[in-house]
Amino acid sequence: MNPVVRWFHQLGSPPYFDRFAARWAPWAYGTGLLVMAWGIWQGLFVAPADYQQGDSFRILYVHVPSAWMSLAVFGLMAVYAAIALVWRIKLCEILAMACAPIGAGFTLITLATGSIWGKPMWGTWWDWDPRLTTELVLLFLYLGIIGLYHAIDDRRAAARAAGLLAVVGVVLLPVIRYSVDWWNSLHQGQTISLLGESKMDPSMLPALWAMVIGTHLWFAGSLLARARADNLWRESGKDWVRRLGEARQ
Amino acid sequence: MSYQNYVIAAYLVFAAVLLWDYVAPRIRIRQLLRGARLLAARRAAASSSEPRAGQLPR
Repeated sequence: MNPVVRWFHQLGSPPYFDRFAARWAPWAYGTGLLVMAWGIWQGLFVAPADYQQGDSFRILYVHVPSAWMSLAVFGLMAVYAAIALVWRIKLCEILAMACAPIGAGFTLITLATGSIWGKPMWGTWWDWDPRLTTELVLLFLYLGIIGLYHAIDDRRAAARAAGLLAVVGVVLLPVIRYSVDWWNSLHQGQTISLLGESKMDPSMLPALWAMVIGTHLWFAGSLLARARADNLWRESGKDWVRRLGEARQ
Repeated sequence: MSYQNYVIAAYLVFAAVLLWDYVAPRIRIRQLLRGARLLAARRAAASSSEPRAGQLPR
């Protein structure tokens, strides 16, 4: 058998996944934290102040990566949920449900930091602007998925119900992404592009890319840690969990 | 630094949410492993207190 395919099959074994997650989560957290620390230092002390917004633009270095993560995590959660619904792979159920609280956290950061930036720049903490409103709906959707998952006793039935909500909710992602183009919006349009030319000054970009990479690494660590916790919860009472508990004594 | 308080507040929110994101699963894992350990101890205690063959129950 192909080693990659074999590794993928092994990962479906709960004890194997536990060992894998316990081993790699600290590395992902650690490298993510280091990259973000460098990005924050660059963003706060090295990047020049904006000629119009002054230093308030530095909020962008936590706001934009979090906003991207809020959408990317939801997309990944929907992919895991779709795989779990079609092929009934338990690990994908666990990973999909582990995505929800992390995505909700990034969405909360996006809304809070956007609001903090909006007060001095727009003169208001909140506006029922299309981008802001759709991002708020995304937060409610995340909370709905978390709530639904914990409302049903049967873990697998709960994951299927919440996963279905995640798959349906994915239609919100393009609405959030293009809300600034489709409607008159107070929120600015696209300024940073992965493939095309960015409208930001190049001296401001290294810190932003560092924060983008750092938040992705952090997400990987958090996903492994949360999936490990859910895996242990589902397997509680099994011999391998008992042995693990005794080994930690 | 202009708008210093706003910048600090935004970075504090970011740090606080990431701290919660780091701590929450670790606490949950610790609770689950502790629960597994206690369950194993209860089972061991129950099996050792069962009457042996030929022994009259108290």
